[in-house]
Amino acid sequence: MSKKAVIEVGGLVKHYGEVTALDRVSFSVEEGEIFGLLGPNGAGKTTLMEILCGLRKFDEGKATVQEFDLAKDSYKIRGLIGFCPQETLLYDLLSVRENFAFSASLYSLGSKKFKERVEFSSKFLGIGEFLNRRVQQLSGGMKRRANLAASIIHDPPIVILDEPTVGFDPNVKREFWELIRNLKGYGKTVLLSTHDMYEADEICDRVAIMDKGKVVALDKSYTLKETLGGEASIRIKVKGDHIKKALKPLEKYNLVVRDDEIQLFVANPWEVMPEVSNKLVSQGILTERIEVAEPTLEDVFIKLTGRRLTEEQK
Amino acid sequence: MNPIIGIAVKDIKTFFREKGTIFWTIAFPVMILLLFTAIFGREIPFNANIGILNEDGQTPITQSIISGLNATGFLTLNIFQDRIEALKELNATNVRAVLTIPQNFTQNLLFGGHANLSLVVDGSNPDVARLVSDGVRTFFSEYYKQLNPNYAEPIIVNEETSVVGQKIGYKENIVPGMLTYPLLFSSMVVSTGAIVFEREKGTLKKIRASPIHPISMLFGKTLAALLQTAISIIVMSVLAAVLLGPKLNWNVPLLIPIFFLGSMNGIALGLIISCIGRAPQEASNAATTIAIVLQFFTGMYFPIEYLPTYLQQIGRFIPMTYAAQALRDIMIRNATLSDLLLPMATLAVAAVILYAVGVLLYRRWVEK
Repeated sequence: MSKKAVIEVGGLVKHYGEVTALDRVSFSVEEGEIFGLLGPNGAGKTTLMEILCGLRKFDEGKATVQEFDLAKDSYKIRGLIGFCPQETLLYDLLSVRENFAFSASLYSLGSKKFKERVEFSSKFLGIGEFLNRRVQQLSGGMKRRANLAASIIHDPPIVILDEPTVGFDPNVKREFWELIRNLKGYGKTVLLSTHDMYEADEICDRVAIMDKGKVVALDKSYTLKETLGGEASIRIKVKGDHIKKALKPLEKYNLVVRDDEIQLFVANPWEVMPEVSNKLVSQGILTERIEVAEPTLEDVFIKLTGRRLTEEQK
Repeated sequence: MNPIIGIAVKDIKTFFREKGTIFWTIAFPVMILLLFTAIFGREIPFNANIGILNEDGQTPITQSIISGLNATGFLTLNIFQDRIEALKELNATNVRAVLTIPQNFTQNLLFGGHANLSLVVDGSNPDVARLVSDGVRTFFSEYYKQLNPNYAEPIIVNEETSVVGQKIGYKENIVPGMLTYPLLFSSMVVSTGAIVFEREKGTLKKIRASPIHPISMLFGKTLAALLQTAISIIVMSVLAAVLLGPKLNWNVPLLIPIFFLGSMNGIALGLIISCIGRAPQEASNAATTIAIVLQFFTGMYFPIEYLPTYLQQIGRFIPMTYAAQALRDIMIRNATLSDLLLPMATLAVAAVILYAVGVLLYRRWVEK
């Protein structure tokens, strides 16, 4: 039996002048899942999240959050959501606790509940040690944790995270992934945006791939990779600057060039790889590396759009 | 906690930790107050040497004139026997004026003819020349009146009709004017800054993503700006009272509504500026510039009558002009509530209109 949908978006359209930021976006997020919006910068992820949080209006379509209509009950919906944007929205001159108190006041949180939530945040996010320090005295990682804690101080059932780990080093990123998984463990529904395919792969139960304001694919990560990423691909790293020369003998294959690598999408990569290698050698092209790689969400994205996730869109 | 209180508490805490804001809203006005008083607030003793050339001889009238002039306290008399010698001293600026009592002066005065006096003033210092001239003319005007109450000539002196019957020093005049300063600067700059800051920092997004209505946020900001302006007013008032000791009527029940209404006007103006400004820095600069320009039209530092007529008209459209005048009326002229109904009504109407415009602009700006 499928779980209850807590966020339902149907045919959402948003224009900025002549630019279409969202083009009939539809999806639903189930209760208690971590749902990822994966796409490059400019795909419309932030616009979509800001619409759900009531920060922007939409032009067409419908969205409901826990059955409240976004067009009519925006203020009720805001109380159900904890929104944590990319930037740290804390007041530098206030302590972490004072920032929490301010955030709590925005949701009319009583003092008893506030104390409970501060205790919870101290344990859950490990911020007890710097609770009374001013934000300006904190490290970047501490600020981001405090930022997340402030955004969920009112104990919302839904947490919306916009690029939660952008700019983090790998270790801090993994710590944050653990925190996000724990949010799910506490029964929260998480909607997050990312352009990091590993992040989406690692922590999201389902992923909607967005491109140019559209949802181009939506499913569980492994299903997407299985169905759209191909079985595997051959990745070739050519020695020297012979990459253009190498394209000629490989032109019959479905290929893309990523940075200084050629990626071939073929049905049976293990069988095709010797043939490919021979073709390159016969043309006098030396390779640094030739390997069979399992498909990733990046492959899915490339297959769907012909571009890489890291390419910015206008 | 109520969101409006929450926003106000947050703003007040931030205010006390932001050194720059404290400087501009409290320390700077206090500095201006002290500076103005240090420059102009002393009771400057004025004394000028004048030469007397008595050609009428020793008559009771000439004797009483000379002793009367001597008793004014601001003139030191040098008696000359020779006109050339007197003018020589005048040219050397050893005396600032030479008063000649001509022959037959007493006879002319007593028997109804014109009694002319000759006053030659050193024009090299216009201020001193004006003071000496005014002083001598005032003395004779009074003197003539004593001789003959119906005598209307020659000079009418405005200073005779002082409203409180006592001399008003500069500090008594400047303190109410300076208390207008927080209404204009602190309230306007603080309210502009409060909204611009949230916009610049991006924290407006956090507030807008919460269930509080934009107007609640505005009320919270207004409450904080009112408190900050009140702090500025209290600090300035206490310092002015303690350090300068002006002889003023501190009628708190009447002062509070004027301060409140004046602050609301400043806050509303700040709100409008913050919503019109395209960029945060532009809005902040605009608020400061507008406050600097407006202060000269409001009569804060000098009577509005000093301005050319066309500039006085501009002053009459600025709510803070009425606040400055009302504060002087209360503190100097012991005005009562009935005297203040008109300025209070003017300030209230202006505050309602400006705040309503501010709210409309703010809503439009927030929903963009």
